[in-house]
Amino acid sequence: MAMSLEGIRVVDFTWVVAGPVATRMLADNGAEVIKVERRIPGYMGPRKVGTQPDLNRNKLSVSINMGEPRGVELARRLVKIGDLVIDNFSARVMRGWGMDYESLRKIKPDIISMSMSGLGHTGPRNNYVSYGPTLQALAGFTRLMTDPNGEPAGYGYSFSDLAGGLAGGLTALAALWHRKRTGLGQFIDLSQLESLTGFIGPALLDISVNQRPQPPVDWRAQEMPAAPHGVYRCKPRGDDDDRWIAIAVRTQAEWTRFAAAIGAPAWTTEEKFRTLYLRMRNREELDQHITRWTAECEAESVMRLLQAAKVPAGVVQNGEDLCTHDPQLRSRGFWPLVKRPDDKDTAVSGIPYRLSATPGSIRRNAPETGEDNDYVLGELLGLSVEERKQLMADQVLWP
Amino acid sequence: MTTPTAIASGALAGLRVLDLTDYTGHLCARLMADLGADVVKIEPPGGDSGRRIGPFVDDLPHPNRSLFFWFYNFNKRSLTLNLEAPRGREILLDLARSADVVIENFAPGRADAMGLGWERLHAINPALVMLSMSPFGQDGPYRDFVADDTVLTAMGGMLYVNGYPGRPPVRPLGLQGYHPASFYGAIAIMCALFARDRDSIGQWIDLSMQAATAGTLEHVVGGYFQNGVPERRRGTMHWSRFFRVGKCSDGYVMHCTIGDWTSLIEWVKSDGAAQELVDPAWEAHAHRAAHAERLFDVLDQWVADRPRDEIVARAQLLRQPYAAVRHPEELFDDEQLRARNFFVEVDHPELGKKFLYPGAPAIMHGTPWRIYRRPPLLGEHTIEILRDELDLPADELQVLTAEGVL
Repeated sequence: MAMSLEGIRVVDFTWVVAGPVATRMLADNGAEVIKVERRIPGYMGPRKVGTQPDLNRNKLSVSINMGEPRGVELARRLVKIGDLVIDNFSARVMRGWGMDYESLRKIKPDIISMSMSGLGHTGPRNNYVSYGPTLQALAGFTRLMTDPNGEPAGYGYSFSDLAGGLAGGLTALAALWHRKRTGLGQFIDLSQLESLTGFIGPALLDISVNQRPQPPVDWRAQEMPAAPHGVYRCKPRGDDDDRWIAIAVRTQAEWTRFAAAIGAPAWTTEEKFRTLYLRMRNREELDQHITRWTAECEAESVMRLLQAAKVPAGVVQNGEDLCTHDPQLRSRGFWPLVKRPDDKDTAVSGIPYRLSATPGSIRRNAPETGEDNDYVLGELLGLSVEERKQLMADQVLWP
Repeated sequence: MTTPTAIASGALAGLRVLDLTDYTGHLCARLMADLGADVVKIEPPGGDSGRRIGPFVDDLPHPNRSLFFWFYNFNKRSLTLNLEAPRGREILLDLARSADVVIENFAPGRADAMGLGWERLHAINPALVMLSMSPFGQDGPYRDFVADDTVLTAMGGMLYVNGYPGRPPVRPLGLQGYHPASFYGAIAIMCALFARDRDSIGQWIDLSMQAATAGTLEHVVGGYFQNGVPERRRGTMHWSRFFRVGKCSDGYVMHCTIGDWTSLIEWVKSDGAAQELVDPAWEAHAHRAAHAERLFDVLDQWVADRPRDEIVARAQLLRQPYAAVRHPEELFDDEQLRARNFFVEVDHPELGKKFLYPGAPAIMHGTPWRIYRRPPLLGEHTIEILRDELDLPADELQVLTAEGVL
């Protein structure tokens, strides 16, 4: 059976991370995603190994020079046979090329055009330049995710790009669904800041309804309250002393099972730890007891012991734990392989969900820039070999 | 600010979704409701567990005052139904006959044991799409492991890379072990609906929340497969080495050294700082990344006695991607968010008040993504759904209520 989105063609102008994450969702499910791009700067890393395969697997690449009128013409021909055009530029870029929604709908009346800019196309700051870390700073992640000493820490990576990418992928699918029902296209003006802000909703309602300034996250309750709750340092593994176990004991039943699982030491029967409320009030002392215990144990054995007692516990997995040791992700086939240029394999992150009848798949590694020029320009647009050579010579195509 | 109207006309209008999830998965169906689907939240008679989670309006705990519940359940309708009772399960199956989507996050195997598993639902409605979300998936050695958000961020690789070297990992703001799973779930549902349109088949989706978290990392996976060593915590230094937080006179800024180098350095120089950054070697991105600590130390000195907003305003004029490190309270004063009507006023007539909610991630010009219904009171729509849509007679509704089925 064909994949879910076969037959949908995406003309993809996005780069960096958020846009490619959005189009990855579509490509993984069978949409034909054509990246229109120039050779990306070296600091973005190589295409066939590292983060790029994760972001751009399953996609095609055509190296059209959008600075050339004939390049723009080629892109417009792609739009004519496309369903969705997506970019992550500020408003002036696509308009400058004559590729804004109003222009595109004249070529393809039911086209869907989605822009995933930092702060949106309208408003006084529509030209704000931003990346994931800047958006995380604006939304409050950097400030409230603090080190125990109170200094900002924030995410160690651009979670914002993933948040924006997920919102973009879903929005695009909704618009495609609507078009299937009605034949109508539309323009979607996605703001990555707004997408990210939606990921801290309850905190924002606490501000707007209760006028309560938000304290640092620490280990306070953001959902069902828990104590013990946090990360606890474990025994080193070889010379790696950065081993931690995450534990969350929410209910009284979990507490009883927790205490039994760790051998019912005397302190677990003390009055100050008897109820959840008391355990939260006396959290520091509680955590000291637990750390004394975990420091003597391997993180994996703590996890197995507590999980056997149905207590939420998990190793704070690093890249190696995740990508090589974790038996669960491996058993679910979460690390599919793609080919590198030297014909060796490299793994990428898989698809977190399985559709029983029309599952997505990882079919090829990320393309080098222009890797699919022959297919896109030759087969899809019908240009002859000579025409393509001439376009390359005229620098309408990037080498 | 816009006042939402009561009529949905979003992209997913016409789709009926039954939401059986608890608070760990309830964002998924809300996303579909935001886009116009008719989402019926099935709650146990005592109310969804999310209604017991704070914060509460004016700090008064009550099932209808949980802001936690509000955020994840606006745009939905609420139907109370006791799925432990046989008649409750029958009613659910009746609802499933005409639904397009069922979303559940019972422990793996539990839905089956209740007679509400995929086989059963598929048999009564072959076109149904069913999403099962669980912490680790429906199979595999960790299938029966339990998790909260913290455990998911730990096991999904998100936690390890946040924070300072030698110090404990720092947990995310918000429930970022739950949220990506809900987005992936909604995306998977949409894919299944496209396939249903073409192939006339329903299907079952098995989603692992751990994998969804692992599928929401940036450099951790690629970094490991490229270099064979795990990425570490680096404080506020972004893994790309082009961003780090600096302390200024009245707060913090996010530095960025990926923008135009010449204009940044001219500015820093004109302030009488950064003489050691005039070396042309700094013009290369690779050099800036390789010597990022030194570079940011110099920039930190430069901003130390200057106010945050002044630096950011000037930087943005020069198209330098600097940003203020803000508290979330400041989002409500953000002129950009205000100009785009991001915050939406939602009327709570039962409280006689209106409140600002964070709104849509995107302005969809054809089919708005929006808030059109305040979060439901417990069981608010039970009667309208069962009487008007399932045609249950009034006397049965009375009996079922007395029996605790509703």
